[in-house]
Amino acid sequence: MKKLTAIVLTAALTGFSAGLFAHDIEAWNSAIPDQPDHVLLRGATVWTAGDDGILEETDVLLRRGKIHRVGKDLKAPRGAVEIDASGRHITPGLIDAHSHAAVVGGVNEATLISTAMVGIEDVIDAESIHIYRQMAGGLTTMQVMHGSANAIGGRNIILKLRWGADPEGLKLDGQPGVIKFALGENPKQSNWGGAGGRYPDTRPGVAQIIDEKFQQAEQYRRDRDNAQGTVPHRRDIEMEVLLGILDGDIHVHSHGYRADEMLELMRIAERHDFRIQTLQHVLEGYKIADEMAEHGAGGSSFSDWWAYKYEVFDAIPYNGAIMHDRGVLTSFSSDDAELARRMNLEAAKAVRYGGLDEHEALKLVTANPAAQLDLADRIGRVAEGLDADVVLWSGHPLKSSSRVDQTWIDGRLYFDRQRDLEQREAWEAERRRLIELARAGDGGDDNSGGEDEEEAENAGAEDEASVSDPDERRRGELVMRRLLGQGASS
Amino acid sequence: MNSFLTRVIACAALVALAFSAGAEQVAFTGATLHPVDGEPVENGVLLVEDGRIAAVGRDVEVPADARRVDLSGRHVYPGMIHAGTVLGLTEIGSVPGTEDYSEMGQVNAAIRAETAFNADSMLLAPNVTNGLLTAHVMPVGGLIRGTSAVMRLDGWNFEDMSLLAPAGMHIAFPAAAVDDSDNEELKLIDSMLDEARAWASAAEAASDSESARPAANDQLAALEPLVSGDMRLFVHASGESAMNAALDWIEKQEFEDVVLVGGPDLQHVAERLADAGMDAILTGVQVMPERRWEPYDAAYVAPAVLAEAGVRFAITDGGSAFVAGNARNIPFHAGMATGFGLSHADALKSVTLWPAEILGVGDELGSLAAGKRATFFVADGSPLDEMTEVFGAWIDGREYDFVRDRQRRLYQRYSNRPQPAGAN
Repeated sequence: MKKLTAIVLTAALTGFSAGLFAHDIEAWNSAIPDQPDHVLLRGATVWTAGDDGILEETDVLLRRGKIHRVGKDLKAPRGAVEIDASGRHITPGLIDAHSHAAVVGGVNEATLISTAMVGIEDVIDAESIHIYRQMAGGLTTMQVMHGSANAIGGRNIILKLRWGADPEGLKLDGQPGVIKFALGENPKQSNWGGAGGRYPDTRPGVAQIIDEKFQQAEQYRRDRDNAQGTVPHRRDIEMEVLLGILDGDIHVHSHGYRADEMLELMRIAERHDFRIQTLQHVLEGYKIADEMAEHGAGGSSFSDWWAYKYEVFDAIPYNGAIMHDRGVLTSFSSDDAELARRMNLEAAKAVRYGGLDEHEALKLVTANPAAQLDLADRIGRVAEGLDADVVLWSGHPLKSSSRVDQTWIDGRLYFDRQRDLEQREAWEAERRRLIELARAGDGGDDNSGGEDEEEAENAGAEDEASVSDPDERRRGELVMRRLLGQGASS
Repeated sequence: MNSFLTRVIACAALVALAFSAGAEQVAFTGATLHPVDGEPVENGVLLVEDGRIAAVGRDVEVPADARRVDLSGRHVYPGMIHAGTVLGLTEIGSVPGTEDYSEMGQVNAAIRAETAFNADSMLLAPNVTNGLLTAHVMPVGGLIRGTSAVMRLDGWNFEDMSLLAPAGMHIAFPAAAVDDSDNEELKLIDSMLDEARAWASAAEAASDSESARPAANDQLAALEPLVSGDMRLFVHASGESAMNAALDWIEKQEFEDVVLVGGPDLQHVAERLADAGMDAILTGVQVMPERRWEPYDAAYVAPAVLAEAGVRFAITDGGSAFVAGNARNIPFHAGMATGFGLSHADALKSVTLWPAEILGVGDELGSLAAGKRATFFVADGSPLDEMTEVFGAWIDGREYDFVRDRQRRLYQRYSNRPQPAGAN
C-alpha cells in the first residue's frame, strides 16, 4: 500500500510538472494544447487536396481552429504564431476511413447476425498509444468501426486524434450516424473452425438476412406509427437503427471483398430505397466500379493486401486506380493500427500501381475519405473555412524519406517532433523512477531499489512484449485472425 | 510502359528467331546503373552473356554483334533479395491445404524448405514484377525448424530454382529460457545438439573402422553438418533479453557461422553483434514499437542504429504467410528507415547486397558486378520509393514475362471493360 501511495504521489507530481509542457506520452497526463488565435505557416508547398492542387511557396493562416486563409505573402495578424515552413510541405490531416484503433474490450459483438443495437462509441480507449503514434504519422481523423462478424454490425464512431481528450472529447461533433455491415467469409463464419452454428453459412444467406431485416424494419415502422390503444408500442433499438438507415440518417459502411456480394448489397439497398455509403476493403471493387459509381457507393480499399484468404485472391493493387478512374469516390484505409501511421505512403502506391497523379493519390487519404464520411465541408482539404487539421512534412509527403514535423488538429499543435525528441529523456527517467519505487516497495527494508533496476527493466520489457508480441509471424497470425473475423478483435 | 514493354518483347522475339539461346551477348544501354557496391553510373552499359554480367560501367565497349536493349531514362538495380520468407510454401493463408511452412512438433531438423517450393505459386509473379527476384525460403515450425534455401523466383521446378540448399539450419531461441537455466525447450535443443554430436562421432568412427554404424536418424543426420561447423545457423529471437540470452547460448555452443534474426530490438544488441562480427536479419521496420513506452519511431530507427554500429544486416517483413504475397514490400521497410537516419545507399544494400552476402550467395547476387548472375530489374526510380514503377526484370539473363503476373492481367482485363450501357 505504501508502494502504491508513493507511485500515485509521484505520478501526480509528475502530472503537475509535466502540465507545464502540456505534453506527455500518457494521454491522461497531456493537456489539450493551446489554440492560438492565429497560426501562420509560411512559405510551404501546400497540397490542398482540392481544386487548387499543389501551391508552391504558399502561406496557410489558421484562425481559432479553422483554416482562415491560404495564399501568398499573407500578413501576420498581431500575436500570430509564425512558423517558417519554407522547403517543407503541408497537407490536410490524413483520414483513415476504416480503423479499429483505440478500442477497449473487443471490436466484435459477434453473437448475432445483426447487432445494430450496439455502438463502438461505448468502448473508446482514449489512452490508447495508437492515437499518439498515428498522429505522429499525420493522421488526424479516423472512423473507428465495429467488427465484421455480423451481416449488420454495430454502429461506428468518427474520432479526431486529440491526444489528451477523453472519449467524449475525441468525437468529431456534427458527424452523421455510421454503421458497419459485413459480407462474405466473416459473417458466414467460414474461418471460425466450425465454431459458428449460426445462420447463415453462405453468401446468399447473408444477402437474404439483410433484406429480411429491412423488411422487418419497415413492418416495425408501420406497427409503431399505427400503434393504438393503451399498450404503448415496444421500442426496439435495433429496428430504430435500421430505420435510421432507411431514412438516410445513418450511413452504411460495409465490409466486403467479392464483386458478387457487394453488387447484391447495392441491389438490396436499392430495393429498400437507400444508398450504401461506402464498400470497405472492396478488393474486387475494380470489377464493379461502374455499378458502384452509378449506385453512388464509395470504395475504401487496402492499397495492396491480398492472398491471405480465398475471398481476397483476386485483390489487385490497381484496385484504387481503376475505381478512381471510373468515377468511384475512392480512399485507402488501414484496418490496422500500425498501417494507419503511414497512410501517405499507402496513397503513394496508387502512383506505382495504375499511375495516379500524385495529388490525386494524396486525396485517397484526405479529401476522399472526408467525403465518404460526409464531412467534406469540415475536413480533408486545405481550404478556407475547414477545420485547421493540417500536417507539416519535412519533405515530399508521398516519400518515406520525409517525416511528419508537426500535426495540427483544430488549430492546436498536438504533435511536434522536436518537442517529442526533447521530452524523451524526461519520460525515460520518469519511467525508471517509477520502476525503482515499485521495486523499493517489494524489497521490504531495502529502500534503495536500485540494484535490481536492470532486471526490472527486462521483466517489464518481456511483459509488454508478450502483449504486443514482437514475433513477426505470431503478429501476422494475429492480424490474420482479425481479418478472418475471429476472436474478440475484429 | 506499354510501348516500352512492347519494344522489349518485340526485340526479344526477333533475337530469339535469329540466334540460338547460347552465348548471345546483350548490351543494356542508356540507363542509370545502380551497382549498389559502388556509385551509380549514368548512361552506363550492362553487358550480359550466358546469364552472367560480363561487364558493367560507363566505358564498356559494346561488341558489334551484341543485341542492344535501350533503357534510356530508366534505372537498373540488382534484383532484390528477401532474406527470410515462407513465399512458395503458402498460397491462401486461411486454407490449410495450401500451407507447407510450419511442421508439427518441436524438432524438425530434417525438414527441407525447398522440397515444397511451389514453382508456379500465384504469389511469385506479383513479387517478381516489383523487383524481388530471389528469396530465402525458410521453414518456421517448432524450435529446431529445419533448413532453408535460397531460391531464384523464376524456373521450372524447385531443383532448377534452388541457388543454395541448404542455406542453413533455423533454430528459434525460446523466450522463456531467459534467466531460466532449467527451461525445458532450451534443454531439448541442447540435448538434440549433444545427440547430434555423439551421432556424428559414432558415424565417423564407423566409417574409419569395423564398428557398427549408429542407427539411421533423419533429425540427427540433418544436424550433423551444423554441429560439425559446416552449416550456417539462423537463430530467431524475439525481444532484447531473449536476444542477449541467445547470444550467450551461441557462445556457449561455440557456433561460429551464425545469423541473428529478430525485430527492432536488434538495435539494443547492435554493439554485441558488431563485436562478434555477427550478421543480422531485421524482421521489419514498418512495425509498432514493441513496448508502449517506447518512442513512436523506435522501430524506424533500428536500421540506422545497426548501421552506425557497423553491423551488416538485411531487412525483411518477417516473412509470414500473411505477408508472403506482399514480399515485394521489403524495399518500403528499408525506405522507411531513410527518414530516420539510414542512408539511402545502406537501405538499398539491406535488400540487395547484404542479404546476398549474409545468405552465402554474395559472389552470385546482390550487386551489378562482372561475373555475377544477370539478375536485375528496370524501374523509373528508386525501388525504396512507393511511387516507383518497375518495368522489366531479368533473372539469370532471361527476361521475365510480366504477363505471368495475374494481378497485371486482371488490371488489363478490367481496365478495358466496356462501360455498361446507360453509364456516364
